[in-house]
Amino acid sequence: MLALDDVTFSYGAAPPYRFTMRAAAGAVTAIRGASGSGKSTLLDLVAGFLVPARGSIRIGGTEVSALPPEQRPVSILFQSETLFEHLSAARNVALGLARPDPARVAAALAEVGLAALGPQRAATLSGGQKQRVALARTLLRDRPVLLLDEPFSALDDDTRLATRSLVRDLTRKHGWATVLVTHHADDIAAIADKVYVLENGVLTEA
Amino acid sequence: MLRPSLFALAALVCLALPASAEDKPTLTLYTYDAFAADWGPGPQLKAGFEQSCGCTVAFVAAEDSISALRRIQLEGATTRADALVGLDTFIAGEARATGLFAPHGLDLGGLALPAPWTDTDFVPFDYGYFAFVYDKTRLATPPASFEALIAEPDSFKIVVMDPRSSTPGLGLVVWIREAYGDHAPEIWAGLKPHILTMSRGWSEGYGLFLKGEADMALSYTTSPAYHAVAEGDDRYAAAEFTEGHIAQVEVSGILKSSPHQELARQFLAYMASPEGQKAIPETNWMYPVVDLGPDLPAAFGPAPGKVLPVDEAAVTADRNAWIEEALAALR
Amino acid sequence: MPRSAERRLPHRPLRLAGGAAAAVAIAALIATLFWSILGAAAGGQGGGAGADIGYLIYITTLQASLSTALSLLVGIALAWALNRLRFVGRTLVIGLFAAAIVTPGLVVAFGLLAVWGRSGWLGGLGVPVFGLGGVVAAHLILDGAFAARILLARLDAIPELRLKTGQSLGLSAWRRFAVIDWPALRGSLPGLAAIIFLLAFTSFPIVLLLGGGPAVQTLELAIYSAVRLDFDLALAVRLALVQIGICAAIILVSAALTPVPSSLDRPATPRWRDGPAARALQWTVLALALAGFAAALLAVLADGLAGLATVLGRASFWTATATSLGVAALSAALALALALVVAAGRAATPSRPLRTLLGAPAYAYLAVPAVALALGAFLFVRNLGILPDAAAPAIVVIANALLSLPFALATLGPPLDAIAQSRGRLIRSLGLGGTRQFAAVEWPLIARDAGLVLALGFCFSLGDLGVIALFDTHDFVTLPLLMSRALGAYRSNDAATIAALMLVLTLVAFIALPALFERLSRARA
Repeated sequence: MLALDDVTFSYGAAPPYRFTMRAAAGAVTAIRGASGSGKSTLLDLVAGFLVPARGSIRIGGTEVSALPPEQRPVSILFQSETLFEHLSAARNVALGLARPDPARVAAALAEVGLAALGPQRAATLSGGQKQRVALARTLLRDRPVLLLDEPFSALDDDTRLATRSLVRDLTRKHGWATVLVTHHADDIAAIADKVYVLENGVLTEA
Repeated sequence: MLRPSLFALAALVCLALPASAEDKPTLTLYTYDAFAADWGPGPQLKAGFEQSCGCTVAFVAAEDSISALRRIQLEGATTRADALVGLDTFIAGEARATGLFAPHGLDLGGLALPAPWTDTDFVPFDYGYFAFVYDKTRLATPPASFEALIAEPDSFKIVVMDPRSSTPGLGLVVWIREAYGDHAPEIWAGLKPHILTMSRGWSEGYGLFLKGEADMALSYTTSPAYHAVAEGDDRYAAAEFTEGHIAQVEVSGILKSSPHQELARQFLAYMASPEGQKAIPETNWMYPVVDLGPDLPAAFGPAPGKVLPVDEAAVTADRNAWIEEALAALR
Repeated sequence: MPRSAERRLPHRPLRLAGGAAAAVAIAALIATLFWSILGAAAGGQGGGAGADIGYLIYITTLQASLSTALSLLVGIALAWALNRLRFVGRTLVIGLFAAAIVTPGLVVAFGLLAVWGRSGWLGGLGVPVFGLGGVVAAHLILDGAFAARILLARLDAIPELRLKTGQSLGLSAWRRFAVIDWPALRGSLPGLAAIIFLLAFTSFPIVLLLGGGPAVQTLELAIYSAVRLDFDLALAVRLALVQIGICAAIILVSAALTPVPSSLDRPATPRWRDGPAARALQWTVLALALAGFAAALLAVLADGLAGLATVLGRASFWTATATSLGVAALSAALALALALVVAAGRAATPSRPLRTLLGAPAYAYLAVPAVALALGAFLFVRNLGILPDAAAPAIVVIANALLSLPFALATLGPPLDAIAQSRGRLIRSLGLGGTRQFAAVEWPLIARDAGLVLALGFCFSLGDLGVIALFDTHDFVTLPLLMSRALGAYRSNDAATIAALMLVLTLVAFIALPALFERLSRARA
């Protein structure tokens, strides 16, 4: 479970953001908000790319505010740049492991339904396939928190439906606390177990 | 694209040139950059000559004297040059062979040179002896011959210049050849461990020596005079070699194609006159070709005890073979 | 996506035509220079010393290959360290490294000696500075630092999201380099390699100063000697063509290798530090580079202090400074304009042979021996019926602009290619015209690089006096000429001061111009 309490951050002289929220394990917690409302700032704080002025960020009861991004028990997926384009799908997935293990890579790719695409270069994959490969990598990393930053935005409708179901199923199966940032009400209605609305830098539970 | 901008800029430059007085003839002298530069003898000679000639002296300065000669060769009969100032012993034969130069017609019997001057084409204006220069505070007893230099330990380093790109470099090839004849390659082979490097030009090589990178550098017997007179620093001296030294004589020649041959002749005579010669020693740092008496700073010192003659015809004919044998011995 | 790429690029016939026109003009200029020389060759006497041509080709190729390989290695290591480390004075250090390539070679060589030479600051360590090692070391200072500057720009342009993804994956320092940095660097390496090879191959005074004798010399010496001492112009042209042939082979190989780089972004402020071992290595690389590179340049600055008052008090210095600044500004502007035209033309076509053809003349120019340029330019101007001495300033401006053109292309080419590749579809779909494409999309993204190109062109021109050997230098005096005059007249203190002041000007240009251009582009964006 992910818990933020009074996590405060501001860009220079701008009015500060203050975040308090809970995201339960095995559930999808959605953050809804207009562009520029601070959704990405929230994810950057949880992932460790930004350091809050004060407040606490706990994952499974452990304070993580002081940890650098690479040491946080968090996986993150962006809308783009989730994969390294010049590597094959399998090598991208393998980046989730400390040492190579082709069997586990193949298993993860199979779990996201892309068993056959391992040798293909990431640059040649479709948008939906890229997100699935990234999810396969997340599987191998098996971090308790999964952060999704508009992950379905670039996808066509069919792919979008399939990918978000996959996110929901994986979340339940692996017990992740998944935080989904989006401005699509449709995605939220489909897979969110809990919803926060972000307005003027303040989170409120919907 | 290229041509319009070229023309435009050329036109701009032409407009910017001051209109010269049309009644006065202009004597155009091709020379090397250092001669015409502020520090060189050019400005003083120009001022002195213009006082009496009723003319304007204009220098066209190329990178070095060989470049100035090549420019005249390329321009052929259409050259603007009335005279070429600054050829030397090693290129004079080749310049003579081009047939572009006219006899000077001057009586030069009164000049004081290492050997009596008999050349009817070129007029000398200064000379110097090639020598290795050293720092007395670092080197108490310099080698007194090529053989003594060869006998020094390998850590004893000299800087020389490449004979293909530098006049002193060529001078050393001729020097060793005049001193040792067919044994020259043996001397070069002996020098090999001592040669720190063969620089492209004199200035870089001498610079290496001044920075303390080498014990001696190929230069002129008059180099220490610069340090003594201009810098008040008498640490430097030229090592006298018992084999003898050769002289590099700097000369000028009148172009056959010049419409101002008489004026050019007068300028060359002026340069070789005691008045013109006073401008030479402390600008070019070479010996004057007339006896200036007390006007020559004492730091210039006496000529080396033994001076080897240079056979111009042999230099012109065999130069490349000599360079090749020297380089082959070093490789 | 090689098959579909051509339809993604905006259709820009004018750009293609402009690039082609510039390329043809440069090729024609080179051809004309040689034609002029051959035309005059009838008057040559022939029969020059040429027994060691084969050896010179061998040693020059060896030296240039070593210089290139090591420069790239050092450049990558240094760019890697500078990309990761943040410290006070970083901008200055980057400027210092970038300035190395445009500093006159002899100045760098003497700086090297002031540190490592027999009487140098660290002379006691007994590092051999003469011979092949010394020549390669001097080239490393000049070219390795330049490579680092160009490669650093590529690393700084890695998209922020890619870095975040990598960081959240906890990539090790080595994997981070292999997965994120290397793909960003790879695209620039062939072009850089070609440039460095050309520079090292045509390097002349440095090679002779540090080479230690005939065992380590350079083909340019033979060409120079063929023109100057033997006046055998036909031989000179033959040798020059050999040199251009060897260099052209390198250019073509590198062109065939060049993949299109993919990244283009504003520099992100990285908060991603590598592990302690990698950071220790980065600091070590930086310290070694500072000891080896910056110390040599600092030695030049320190050396120049002594004569400062004398030199500043001389009218000739100020005249030469004004001339140099004027020439440098004009040739930098010309180089930038040419580079934009050629690079935009190249980016407008996916055809690799065509891209190679468009870029090759610019590189080939760099392979033309300086003495051939001087001679050819002189004869060319004469044949046009112009008084050569009046044309000298224009010749120097053009020659210097062309000298820095390959560097300008290496700097501006990759980002313009990246824009065409990554935003081509958007530009097409919006129906943006070429002018708006440039003003709205390209200029804001390349302004900083354009500033770098101007700085490069400016400083190259400031430091070079290659083409005026046969032209009248009496009234046309630039700073490098004044410096070589001072050296030739025993005034080594004055020369040292002029060298130091040129270095300072170079540094200022390198730090100020790119920053200024970025600010300008932001004001417009």
